[in-house]
Amino acid sequence: MVNVMKGVLVECDPAMKQFLLHLDETLALGRKFILQDLDETHLFISADIVETLQARVDDLMDQLSIPVHDKGL
Amino acid sequence: MSESSKSKSSLNLNPSPTLQCKDLHEYLKSRSAQFLETLYNYPTICLAVYRELPELARHFVIRLLFVEQPVPQAVVTSWVSQTFAKEQNKACEALSELSVWQEAPIPGGMPGWMLAQSFKKNLKVALLGGGRPWSMSSSLEPDGKARDVAFLDAYALERWECVLHYMVGSAQTEGISADAVRILLHAGLMTRDAEDGSAVITRAGFQFLLLSTAKQVWLFLQHYLHTAEKRSLSAAECLAFLYQLSFSTLGKDYSTEGMSNNMLVFLQHLREFGLVYQRKRKAGRFYPTRLALNIACVRDGVATVAPLDAGNQTGYIMVETNYRVYAYTQTNLQVALLGLFTELVYRFPNLVVGVLTRESVRAALRGGITAAQITHYLEQHSHPQMLKSETGGIRSTSVLPPTVVDQIRLWESERNRFTYTEGVVYNQFLSQADFVVLRDYAKQQGVLTWQNERSRTMVVTRAGHDDVKKFWKRYSKSS
Repeated sequence: MVNVMKGVLVECDPAMKQFLLHLDETLALGRKFILQDLDETHLFISADIVETLQARVDDLMDQLSIPVHDKGL
Repeated sequence: MSESSKSKSSLNLNPSPTLQCKDLHEYLKSRSAQFLETLYNYPTICLAVYRELPELARHFVIRLLFVEQPVPQAVVTSWVSQTFAKEQNKACEALSELSVWQEAPIPGGMPGWMLAQSFKKNLKVALLGGGRPWSMSSSLEPDGKARDVAFLDAYALERWECVLHYMVGSAQTEGISADAVRILLHAGLMTRDAEDGSAVITRAGFQFLLLSTAKQVWLFLQHYLHTAEKRSLSAAECLAFLYQLSFSTLGKDYSTEGMSNNMLVFLQHLREFGLVYQRKRKAGRFYPTRLALNIACVRDGVATVAPLDAGNQTGYIMVETNYRVYAYTQTNLQVALLGLFTELVYRFPNLVVGVLTRESVRAALRGGITAAQITHYLEQHSHPQMLKSETGGIRSTSVLPPTVVDQIRLWESERNRFTYTEGVVYNQFLSQADFVVLRDYAKQQGVLTWQNERSRTMVVTRAGHDDVKKFWKRYSKSS
């Protein structure tokens, strides 16, 4: 017997994977979306969440960045 | 560590859409066979198509041009040595795609190739002469107010910038007709604002602005031809006329005598976009400009006539290592273009100062502009002073400060920390042997994206799923 699931394979660095696991655990996107945890850099997630996820990650990157150079105003 | 091979997913999950600029080949490929058939009635088109073919395909065409019967496909294959089979396939494919040749059976049942009748006839005309003379080159009395090349260049540039100006929403809206606006809307370069119905620029429009002028014109005209059919202009006739223009001489005047009413309408449109110059609507003569001559060389590096914006204009942008951008310019268009990806700080009569910030570059990236496009634009319009400056001992192929180029690229890659591949996961295999068989099959088919032997899990692409499923059914039945 073989189990078959459709979805999207995500490849990323380990840090980002932990972030995705965190989002999944805390139901930050409203529900669980990780179908299977494959290895350190790969996850298998449901296809319909991808867009929401991309927006969320974009937000995160925004919070992380600090403007490094002054505009010299 | 698992094995993983990246594969292109059928669905475009990752990048934001980028504007495609088809060359003539790709454009014709997307049109119907009947359209091509009518096009091949014009010798100029045949010649243009011939010039755009891969080298091997051109060779085939010439060898077949004077053969009046189908030639066996095996014979065509024998012209090329086995080592270049790939190039040959490509050439054959190109010829079939453009309906330059058709498959024709040979008595005896072998498949053969035969050049399309109208293409054959008109390419001969183009190469050897004959046919009807161009009505537009009929003799004219010398123009009392003849225009020189410099005038034509200035005119073409001014007209074309008018269109671009309109796109960036500069206040200057005069000089652009409702037709041109309709084309911009149709092309998806602009869209009607939901509130007041005014035209506003789209993502594709931003990318359009960063293209080279020749590409812009060609892309614009492609969409013009699409809408032309609705205005009872024949797209084939217009395209033929355009290519006729591209074979004409810069700085020479041509006669409008003998042109049909439709073509006169078309000529007025070309006049509006700066592809031809006419002093008066009824002057009876026109001058093609560089914009029209460059239509045939949209592909990079084959320009027969120096492109309009290269030689005549010197660069005006200086970029410093502290991300500051100084642009010595007075035109609103250039300021607006710069404003797409920099934060403008000061504006003086002949100088604009801006800063490349993370936000401003990201806003551009979100608009579908790529990092390469930004750096290319800055590089292309670099101030001559930039070419002289030292890059601080760092050898660099770009005239821009390496830190700035790298940072723009990093800002782009930061948005793509994930790669998404649509796929199907297989797990919970009962035995290791089953897993190995299925994995090896998927690998052999080139559809395996990820696998792990220990957990007996594998991921195949969406496209390969059906095939693997069938194989699995066959396999599990037989065992």
